Amino acid sequence: MTRRRWGLAIVAAIALLAAACGGGSGGGDDADGEVLRSVLDRGELRCGVKGSHPGFSFANPDGSFSGFDVEFCRAIAAAVLGNDGEDVAFVQVPSATRFELLNTRQIDVLIRTTTVTAERDASLGLEFGPITFYTGQSFAVRADSGIRSTADMDGITICVQSATTTEQNLSDHFNELGYDYTPLGGEDQENQDAFATGRCDAWTGDQSNLISRISQLPNADEFRVVDQLISKEPLAPFVIDGDRQWKDVVSWVVYGLINAEELGVTRENAAALAADPPNAAVARLLGAPFKGGEVADHGFAVDPQFLRRALLATGNYGEIYERTVARVGVPREGTLNALVRDGGVLYAPPYR
Amino acid sequence: MTTMTGGLPPPAPTPLFFRRGFRNLLAQGVYVGVTALVIFYVVQALGGREYGFGFLNQPAAFDVGNQWLINVDGTTNTRFTMYLVGIWATARVVMVTLLLSTVLGVAVGVARLSPNWLLSKMAMLFVEIFRNMPLFVQIVLWYAIVLFGLPQIQNALDLGDTFFLSNRGIAVPWPEPDGGLYGGPEWLTAVWAAAVAAAAVAAWFVRRRRQELERETGQPHYPNRWGIRLFAGGALVSFLALGLPLTIDVPVLSGTDYAEGLTLRPEFTALTLGLTIYTASFIAEIVRASIQALPKGQTEAANAIGLSGYQRLTLVILPQALRQMIPSVTNQYLNASKNSSLAYGVSYADLFFVANIIQNKIGHAVEVFALIIVTYMLMSLAISVVMNFLNSRLTLTRV
Repeated sequence: MTRRRWGLAIVAAIALLAAACGGGSGGGDDADGEVLRSVLDRGELRCGVKGSHPGFSFANPDGSFSGFDVEFCRAIAAAVLGNDGEDVAFVQVPSATRFELLNTRQIDVLIRTTTVTAERDASLGLEFGPITFYTGQSFAVRADSGIRSTADMDGITICVQSATTTEQNLSDHFNELGYDYTPLGGEDQENQDAFATGRCDAWTGDQSNLISRISQLPNADEFRVVDQLISKEPLAPFVIDGDRQWKDVVSWVVYGLINAEELGVTRENAAALAADPPNAAVARLLGAPFKGGEVADHGFAVDPQFLRRALLATGNYGEIYERTVARVGVPREGTLNALVRDGGVLYAPPYR
Repeated sequence: MTTMTGGLPPPAPTPLFFRRGFRNLLAQGVYVGVTALVIFYVVQALGGREYGFGFLNQPAAFDVGNQWLINVDGTTNTRFTMYLVGIWATARVVMVTLLLSTVLGVAVGVARLSPNWLLSKMAMLFVEIFRNMPLFVQIVLWYAIVLFGLPQIQNALDLGDTFFLSNRGIAVPWPEPDGGLYGGPEWLTAVWAAAVAAAAVAAWFVRRRRQELERETGQPHYPNRWGIRLFAGGALVSFLALGLPLTIDVPVLSGTDYAEGLTLRPEFTALTLGLTIYTASFIAEIVRASIQALPKGQTEAANAIGLSGYQRLTLVILPQALRQMIPSVTNQYLNASKNSSLAYGVSYADLFFVANIIQNKIGHAVEVFALIIVTYMLMSLAISVVMNFLNSRLTLTRV
């Protein structure tokens, strides 16, 4: 009796297992195009942002989001789903779990002031898109502290966001100087509180982040961000590894918005220019026929008008910058984020 | 199974679903099936990656604060060394918490039973407030109080130039190894520590011998008194003989931080305070319950032979209640030690915090979390072993 029971139990188990295998193996090998398919099925783009970073991604009291990163989420959503980029679910992700959330596909794209590094590229199973913002690591100090650069920082306590490249740069830089320092970790908001209450002498992070956050403090004039940059922090959107198609779409939305600025295509004039394109480059970018010819289709997984939709939703790179980052006191002129023709390094491959 | 009763028709066969054998089979089938599914999914999710702990031997490239007695630099040391720094940080919090929460818990638990109305109600209030608030909330609250409530270091509260209070930490005097009056080497302090240890061992033997004598002869031989005298005398004489090989370092303000002395950082303070008070509120209830579980006759008998209140507590009540307490208190110790991982909420660089930095830098989440789990398990097992030893000693000893 007992033996027969066990036999039956095992048969039942095998049957269940077989059912599970049948269900599970469907999506295994063919990852290419999977993200785009699931975004289209869902009718919504899940965009991982920080949500507490004025100028980049900030959760407003009314539940809406605004900022530079947020605009790129909207541009991608508009390109893929239309509807003026409204179909975005903004997911606020902590720095510590951001890559795991992307890896487990709980977000479709991560646009969270995340620095591109070799280690991340090689070991995290992720890909990054074009660099959207160039910044560098700097330090905020009290205006009356007399600290002008890291040369004046021996032995001080420094607030730093833990589990970031910032933490590693800090360690490398102070090791090179031969200085001692005490790090105090935490998330951005904790760093800000600790710095503002005097728990630490300096607060390190991306210069653009420090400037924008300090501009929001009631006693902003008591603090200063030093001019020195101790690292390169190129920020880019991240996507999952192995979905080439999705990476192409994300990349070319970003390139498209930069190209649009070079070509003078704005949110205002995009519709008019699409009706009557002045040259072939603008026509291609907007997915419009030029002089009665065919609409150029480069074979992206989305239709050829995807950049026009993105532009109508958010405007070009320069418009996004002016509307978001410039508002919190981070100028564009004279920085790396200006177009190449204006002395910066922002440059996109041509859309052809 | 009585089918002998002639006149009755044979009972209708039970439907399949209501047969015991079938139901057992079904339950077992579902159990085995679900277990197999879980294993299958775990294996599928974890498969196809490469595993190994080699990444722990690479340079850490990050630093952590809140170190004590050590100064480990993350640039030249490996990730594993930094993990050990995290373990040391956890160990510090756990040791201080277990010690303080026991003292506080016993005090509050005894106070709860005090005939003094005010004292008893205050103890009750303590217990009900702190055991009913989430621990994480308490820790974050303590941190906020320290960070926002205490003055900045430029305006530090100065208690007689000896203690300083600010949101950089609480600075207190702390002993420091010293060559002594004759300018000897610093290891004289270690020599003195050895002398103190020797005095302690001698005192313990003397105390035990005198206890035996007391039991044999029935005459008072004052074992505790003599033990303490020997210990204190030995420590003092050797201290003087070695030329005072220890100084007390008084903290001083230097720039925007303290120099010398010991600084209890806000992160450590908030975490330890939160853990201690929370755990103490549970221990207090265990102490109260264990004392109340004793037969009332014990108190009455102690009163009848003329013991004072303090004697009654220390000689009769607590030794017996202790046996009841230890298993429950062990649970609280294990909880407190694992709750120390809430350090994350106040950025205290404990082992979980450090492991998280490593995991975020390099991935290998499965290995890192396995390491975290094993570390906490070893810590819990170590506490259990000590407590079980204590338990077996106390249960065998008859008072």
